[in-house]
Amino acid sequence: MKRVLTHPENKLPSADGKHYWRSLSEVADTPEFRQWLEREFPSGASEIEVDGVSRRHFIRLMGASLALAGFGFSGCRRPESYLVPHAKSSEWIIPGKALLYASAIPRPGGGLPIVVTTHDGRPTKIEGNPLHPASNGATDHFAQAAVLDLYDPDRARFFKKDGKTSSLQEFKTNLAAAINLLDERKGEGVAIMAGEDSSPTRTRLRNALESKYPGLVWCEYEPLDPGFRAAADTAAFGPSVKSVPRYDLAKVILSIGCDFLGVEVGDGGNVYASKQFAANRAVTYDQAKAGKMNRLYIVETGFSVTGGMADHRLRLKPSEIEGFTAAIGLEISKLAGDEQLRALVEPLASRGEHDRWISVCAHDLFSKKGESLVIAGARQTLQTQIIARAINATLENLGKTLVGLPQPKTKSCAKLIDLAAKIGRGEISLLINLGVDLHYNSPADLDWASLQKKVTSTIYLAAYDDDTAKVSQWVVPKAHFLESWGDSLSPDGMHMIVQPMLMPLFGGWSELQLLDALLGGDATEGPELVRETFALRLKTKSLDHAWMLALRDGFVHDSAPAEVPLQLLPLAPLSKSPTPIGEIEVVLVPDYKVYDGRYANNGWLQELPDPATKLTWDNAAILSHTTAKLLGVGDDDLLKIETTGKAIEIPALVLPGHADGAISISLGYGRKDEKRRILNGTGFDAYRLLSTDAPVILREAKITKGSGVHRLAETQEHHVMEGRDHVRSAAIGRFIKEPKFAKSMGIDSHIPPNISIYHNPLLTAPHQWGMTIDLNLCTGCQACTIACQAENNIPIVGREQVINGREMHWIRIDRYFASKDERSLDPEMVMQPVPCMHCENAPCETVCPVNATIHNEEGLNVMTYNRCIGTRYCANNCPYKVRRFNFFDYNKRRIQARKFLGLEVGNLYLGPVGQQNDDGMVKMQKNPNVTVRMRGVIEKCSFCVQRLEEAKISQKIRNKGTDQKKLPTDSVKSACQQVCPTGAITFGDLADPESAVAKKKTDPRNYELLSYLNTRPRVTYLSRLKNPNPTMPGAESVGGFNVGGHHHADDQGHGPDENVHYQGKEHHPATQEQAAQPSHH
Amino acid sequence: MANFFPRWTNTLPLKIVICGAIFGGLVTLFYWYYLTADYARVGYAPVQPVAFDHSLHAGQLGMDCRYCHSFVEISSHSNVPATHTCMKCHSQVQKESPKLELVRRSYETGEAIPWVRIHQAPDYVYFNHAVHVSRGVSCVSCHGNIHEMEVVYHAKSQTMGWCLECHRAPEKNIRPLEHVYNLAWKPDPKSGQTQLALGKELKERWAINPPQTCAGCHR
Repeated sequence: MKRVLTHPENKLPSADGKHYWRSLSEVADTPEFRQWLEREFPSGASEIEVDGVSRRHFIRLMGASLALAGFGFSGCRRPESYLVPHAKSSEWIIPGKALLYASAIPRPGGGLPIVVTTHDGRPTKIEGNPLHPASNGATDHFAQAAVLDLYDPDRARFFKKDGKTSSLQEFKTNLAAAINLLDERKGEGVAIMAGEDSSPTRTRLRNALESKYPGLVWCEYEPLDPGFRAAADTAAFGPSVKSVPRYDLAKVILSIGCDFLGVEVGDGGNVYASKQFAANRAVTYDQAKAGKMNRLYIVETGFSVTGGMADHRLRLKPSEIEGFTAAIGLEISKLAGDEQLRALVEPLASRGEHDRWISVCAHDLFSKKGESLVIAGARQTLQTQIIARAINATLENLGKTLVGLPQPKTKSCAKLIDLAAKIGRGEISLLINLGVDLHYNSPADLDWASLQKKVTSTIYLAAYDDDTAKVSQWVVPKAHFLESWGDSLSPDGMHMIVQPMLMPLFGGWSELQLLDALLGGDATEGPELVRETFALRLKTKSLDHAWMLALRDGFVHDSAPAEVPLQLLPLAPLSKSPTPIGEIEVVLVPDYKVYDGRYANNGWLQELPDPATKLTWDNAAILSHTTAKLLGVGDDDLLKIETTGKAIEIPALVLPGHADGAISISLGYGRKDEKRRILNGTGFDAYRLLSTDAPVILREAKITKGSGVHRLAETQEHHVMEGRDHVRSAAIGRFIKEPKFAKSMGIDSHIPPNISIYHNPLLTAPHQWGMTIDLNLCTGCQACTIACQAENNIPIVGREQVINGREMHWIRIDRYFASKDERSLDPEMVMQPVPCMHCENAPCETVCPVNATIHNEEGLNVMTYNRCIGTRYCANNCPYKVRRFNFFDYNKRRIQARKFLGLEVGNLYLGPVGQQNDDGMVKMQKNPNVTVRMRGVIEKCSFCVQRLEEAKISQKIRNKGTDQKKLPTDSVKSACQQVCPTGAITFGDLADPESAVAKKKTDPRNYELLSYLNTRPRVTYLSRLKNPNPTMPGAESVGGFNVGGHHHADDQGHGPDENVHYQGKEHHPATQEQAAQPSHH
Repeated sequence: MANFFPRWTNTLPLKIVICGAIFGGLVTLFYWYYLTADYARVGYAPVQPVAFDHSLHAGQLGMDCRYCHSFVEISSHSNVPATHTCMKCHSQVQKESPKLELVRRSYETGEAIPWVRIHQAPDYVYFNHAVHVSRGVSCVSCHGNIHEMEVVYHAKSQTMGWCLECHRAPEKNIRPLEHVYNLAWKPDPKSGQTQLALGKELKERWAINPPQTCAGCHR
């Protein structure tokens, strides 16, 4: 049979087919997109062309400097180095061995239980705590990046008074004066400003302070939390109770602008929710048949991670959501005959044009009474959130899918607006700020800068020398959670202990220390304060034993409070929220990467592509195609947004699936601060649009086209793969009828017997590593990308280099939009993580001139950095485009632009004369078991070979004197697998039939990427499933009946049996699987 | 008759010889400097801050290697002992010796002793001590006869080729586990046991198959 050597032509979708596309440029097939497709890097990416310095010129310079370096002959011999042991051994520390501690990340809305890996006392990696149900070993992207924050060289380092460096001693003297003030006036005129935190010790200290000084004002402020969630709980269920969703018990979920799988305010991260959601999302064939798969409806404005997972998604303008929720409530009240609910929602209900959607969704929710869930986002209006709770009551979900958690009893906090009023009246003379950067993130109409001037003295516990620090009288450096004692409550209310891994790097204080000092304590660095709280909460008697146990496990077993029964209180009638003025609404949203701006100086997060927009290093005004047309703008064009006297300019970014007539802007960017090198100059400050009366949707917005453009660094078109059918999905109905649908898609039904001209590597080892990625579970949360970065010492490259397509992530998440018509405004969003495929017939290996990339007996495509000479042939020959090249010494040199000979140039371009990273801070984070790569070498996913080798070595040591070398089943995890909150990634030994990955490979949904190239990838995908409601309008196209153009819906493919291909290759671990499932022909 | 060659060519042969000699010299120097065992530091014996005598402690006194290098069986890195370890004995033995002045001072002040590093694998090489010693490779195979060294020196070249020699034929070096730290051990010739025969038997029994692909050592 003749081999088809060209890629299958695939321009038009078939009549019933769906089209998958990555971006609008792909749809338009612009020259820029063709370039991304056809080349590994855009043309010119391998040229060094900056401010007139050409490659030629550069080589001349390099040659000269090399010649100069030669004269010195320095560095020819290895320098003398030293082995410096401890004078006295420290307990537990074994040089060369990692030491793990259980701890927790304190967060508003609940902490995340973690295990911290330390090497020689340096924390290097954070993993989830597998013992705790709120993590089960998984973490999110914020948690992965937290370790980099610890080593941020830009952190606040000194005690400062009036901007001048001071000392701890001087501060303590000053604090005595502050305590005198507190004593004198019983706390009158003193205010404490804090972020939200669940720490029981902080609550205890706060209560102690408030009872000692009754006049004290305690104010809590979270810029992203408008407080409606707590208010709705109080209104619906009474005080001191928090309603918590149980996604694992819900069969039908309606999310009203709640991004619980992405970044939702007050959830304490997406890990717990993702785990619970995945429990009913992951289905085998039998489970699918039995109808075990859950169904998710969502209404939202922009495309969120949760929106991508939804079976039915409706995009609505932000102001329409309230009326929509009420309309759902009205429909359900009719079905249930609930007059109370009807009275509540009727005045607000507005069905719009979505009559059918509303009634179908309401019917579905009602038919699964007690197993359904309606959840409203924390930034939706108070009315929306109250209605959502009332609907759950009518649906009999209370105590089932929505449970009550008791809240600690404290005096209610002052709101920021109350504190501002007090300061305005001159009632506050001392303000103690526990770390809220109010100058940056308070609503613009408060004018905090002038307010703070009215306070005589201020103490600021500062993570960074930020704007607030500059105007504070006293600045106290804040200790990171990895260097101070603390505690936190998990989202399910368990008491967790935060342990320090090292002494504070800059001698900073924690919140608890400062509060203790105010109470007259000695502000100890030790665990005393936390231990005291622990003792108070403890029910058993043996304190020491229980304490050691809590430290070992990271949390106190059985400390979760009993659920509180939820009972809907009689609700007062609701009035409609005011509709914003103007044709186009502007909604402020949390940022997926920097949250409210607190993580903005973290390079890993800044360079992480946003899941939906794939935007790095910036925020943008996200709008739909229709809105963009209306405004006459395209991507990168500046938009001017004005509201009540405030105006910002921000580049537009068109996102398919965004609601028309609305613009979403994320908060947390737009600061100019030379001292914080990473965040300096990134993005645009939307806090300037924030006002106290409109914390989410702007009351009034005037939007005009601005002048000029700002080039946004998006990665959406980078590393595009030629060919089709990368993502395969189907509605669950088709899966039940035709379980092997994925194998009949695209060119896969045409593959002739493949004859490779190369010899296959000898795959003789007892372990054969492989991976499956379940697209049905992948939410696209990007935690794996950043976990891989932390584990494998992957550098960040900076905004300019991302624009050049040089980002280094080893596992990228490709985002596709899918729709029947590619101009559709309502596409589905599908995520596909792509690491190195570890092809058995790897195209990269055959082109390497120096054997730097080879295959080993375990099926790994290994990369040897010290052999690589940087020809980049391998990257050119990789059909999956997973190889990354170190164009510069990203680890050694600063990535920020700098002034050189009066010109603003990229520091990286300066080569040897460029500025080096001045201190070894960031170096301390590096994983000592992975080589730090230098300029000029290729790198790529290694299947975490360092973990595999470590595991094998440990096994050999354990079983010394025997031949038992084989690892126990599923005893080693790759970094991306470990972090994944939904368990979408399965890694393991294909040669072990008991392993999870071997079992997953036998799933009928299993398919290979670009399988017609005969690369025989070790990474395979399980196709995505959707569970549409057949009665919903447009349900027939949800999930796609087919992807790509070439396919045979019936069984009439025209290629011989694929099994031929594997004959006579006993060592091939996939043989079994292939034999077990003959193709559909 | 006119000159065929201009005058300046008279010195040309000499110039060629001189240039050739310089070039040859440079090549020789390059080879001698970079490609011989010397470059790989064989024989490197730096002066240590404390004149610790291995031949006395490990040889004469017969102390086990693991008394000081205590984590060699657990960790990739074979640790240099803390001062505390020295003082376990030397708080009673040789209490006043001037040679131990630095040790005593370190113990009192907590300031570490800066031992000079002799064996150093490059950063991209991940050598693991524990797995070698627990699979029957003795210290002596890589470090030479430490128990006879008054001053420790770099005994083997420790180049990649040298590593691979053993990874390709481990039977030349493996021995029963109980003799790994007995540096003077040799197979008993009386019983007709040779290293090769014993090594092969052990290799079979323990299923030893050392990695020869890059990822075994480079990650």
